[in-house]
Amino acid sequence: MTKTVWEDRVNRRRFLAGSFVTGFVGAFLALFAHATPQSPAALPDVDPHKAFGSKNAPVAMEVFSDFQCPACKTLFTTTNRRLMDDYVTSGKVYLIHRDFPLPMHAYSRIAARYARAAAQLGKVEPVEQALFQNQEKWEQNGDVDGTVAAVLSPAEMTKVRALVKGGTLEPLIDKDYVLGQTYSVNQTPTTVFHCKGQTYPYSGLMPYDVLKQFLDQLLSQK
Amino acid sequence: MMQSSPLNARRVVIWIGRLVLGGIFIYAGFSKLLMPNTHLWPMFVLKFSISMNISSFAQQVESYKMISPEASQVVAHTLPFVEIALGLLVLIGWRLRIWATAITVILVGFLAVVTRAYLLHMDINCGCFGTPEKLTGLTVVRDGVFTALALLMTVFAFIEARQPHPWSVPEKANIGSSRESVS
Repeated sequence: MTKTVWEDRVNRRRFLAGSFVTGFVGAFLALFAHATPQSPAALPDVDPHKAFGSKNAPVAMEVFSDFQCPACKTLFTTTNRRLMDDYVTSGKVYLIHRDFPLPMHAYSRIAARYARAAAQLGKVEPVEQALFQNQEKWEQNGDVDGTVAAVLSPAEMTKVRALVKGGTLEPLIDKDYVLGQTYSVNQTPTTVFHCKGQTYPYSGLMPYDVLKQFLDQLLSQK
Repeated sequence: MMQSSPLNARRVVIWIGRLVLGGIFIYAGFSKLLMPNTHLWPMFVLKFSISMNISSFAQQVESYKMISPEASQVVAHTLPFVEIALGLLVLIGWRLRIWATAITVILVGFLAVVTRAYLLHMDINCGCFGTPEKLTGLTVVRDGVFTALALLMTVFAFIEARQPHPWSVPEKANIGSSRESVS
């Protein structure tokens, strides 16, 4: 009799275990099954000064970033250069930098303006590098101007300041921000991949080895 | 006829603890692996989604500035799976005392880390679940409540394990007593 009681308990536990596992797998599929690649869309409002590589590349990457975001700094310093060397210059990836200044970062919009102005002079790379590498300094005192001036000539800096004060750059930043909201960007960095009509937005920091595997898989699709 | 197990306050707390903490741990593990990036198909996209989410979680662990970046990677790659396993084990109730103790130890650790970050006024994300969530006083209170529930569940599980269970009483004694009552 005791054995029957014990078997009854074991069977009840097995039934409970099976029910829970089935239930959670079902809940998992129901909760996440809707998360499929989004419908394709043409790339709007691409600033040619902040886009790199061939427009006809099989993969396009839109990187929404904030100059005051530590993760964006890590992405830029660890991934961007290798991505440019391995995929962008060879025509495999079309890379677009999009501005997405987060509201809680006091100076990120100012930094975005300076970077945009430098981009129009063809100096986007040294200025972005200076801004990210000195992020801890200028986010304390707000001295974006001094940080940018350190890597540009006085003549270039005069033009940059004129562009920043001119007010023509703000609508470009706003367009990028609105575009990010259509992709439901709520953190930076967020990267949106476009390949063969499919769109994959990804939030968070990408280690380069992981990104490489993903890009290779995307590129190998037929 | 078999008696049902007696319903007392300790057993109610144990059941509440198993359901609440088991469910939360399973959700915490799943969300760390599958949120915010939830692309599931094809398989390489799913693998990339999970890698991205783990990478974001590692960054959140590192932001507490308590362990090295390498150790943060180890934590990020193992903790979600541990949470899912512990959640399932506690829900099922197999070897409850062991897994309830493990959950309590983990929650005490979480509470200590979160409290330290809050007292140091660290402006970071909690990292408790997959989506970004600011670390506030409410986070500390919430973790405190879960830790208290886990502690109660564990203590009561040990106490209940020492009580004689009605099902352990052999039915022969019951049959013997019923025959005596008939005669």
